[in-house]
Amino acid sequence: MTDHDHNHDRTVKPMVDEITDFEVLEIALRELCIEKGVFTAEDHRRMTEFAEQIGPTPAAHLVAKAWLDPEFRTLALAEPMTASKEVGVDWMEPTGFGTPSDFTAFQILADTPTLHNVIVCALCSCYPRPILGNSPEWYRTPNYRRRLVRWPRQVLAEFGLYLPDEISIHVQDSNQKHRFMVMPMQPEATEGWTEDQLVEIITRDCLIGVALPKAGITTNVITDTRPAIHPGAAG
Amino acid sequence: MTERIEALQEIVQRNQVWPRMAAKWGVENPVPPWKTSLDGMCDALDHAACDENIPNFKERRDEEDALSATVYADLPYPENQLVSLAHSLVARGIIDEAELKQRLTAIRERLQA
Repeated sequence: MTDHDHNHDRTVKPMVDEITDFEVLEIALRELCIEKGVFTAEDHRRMTEFAEQIGPTPAAHLVAKAWLDPEFRTLALAEPMTASKEVGVDWMEPTGFGTPSDFTAFQILADTPTLHNVIVCALCSCYPRPILGNSPEWYRTPNYRRRLVRWPRQVLAEFGLYLPDEISIHVQDSNQKHRFMVMPMQPEATEGWTEDQLVEIITRDCLIGVALPKAGITTNVITDTRPAIHPGAAG
Repeated sequence: MTERIEALQEIVQRNQVWPRMAAKWGVENPVPPWKTSLDGMCDALDHAACDENIPNFKERRDEEDALSATVYADLPYPENQLVSLAHSLVARGIIDEAELKQRLTAIRERLQA
């Protein structure tokens, strides 16, 4: 046996071997709420399993299918909840045990050569969780929520998305009953791609509308949370 | 609502936030392991919100935003989400501060046993 007679890929990843106050606080709140009958342990388990299994993959598949199949695109825009079922999301029963807090009517906003859509929840942080997963941190911040509705072009530029003036921007405000996602246009140089290839470039950011899909770009923008700055007040 | 809560201030001061702990132990996960359980708790609370004093979805998020911008401005996300939720539940009288303090000690002892 040599010194290297083991598989490095199977090496256990490091973990935080220390109990943190935040971990303890999360357990304490949960236990006390359960003991007081605010919610049951079963409620919590089911909701946590829901939070663990959701993500943006179904939404990316929906858009890829729509790019590849004009009939499916028509269905997605006319009957988004029916189209969602084809990618495994039932808006009426997203958890499989009754609906969490965010039901809703769902609508898909299609970009055109002269119109760009972007979603926000100016009031709190409503988000199409069943099909897009949990919202990113920046989406929850008052900074994004309050500024996007006033200065969309500038805020999109902060994500690296510079849109020419001839493209109108439609900011769609979500609320507790209505959820939205964006269907961007299929980018150049992706003709002939398979659904799975297309899904790779349809990132969460593209489905929110703060980025455009592009061949070779498969990751979201990393955006630091920052305090609100009035664009008109700068300089 | 923004009155300081001693038990939570102690947690803020000890500053065992995930970016620091992850760097210390060489862990790459972008969020702490308790995050999805916190998400489950928020969803479960939103379902329970018809009961007296339990914040509904909008109240919970409004209070989180207000507290995260003031009392817990130094905490990153999702620590600020968790501590703001604890603050809301104590300030609304759903959880008693002394009871929370006692429970924090008991859980730490249990986990370290």
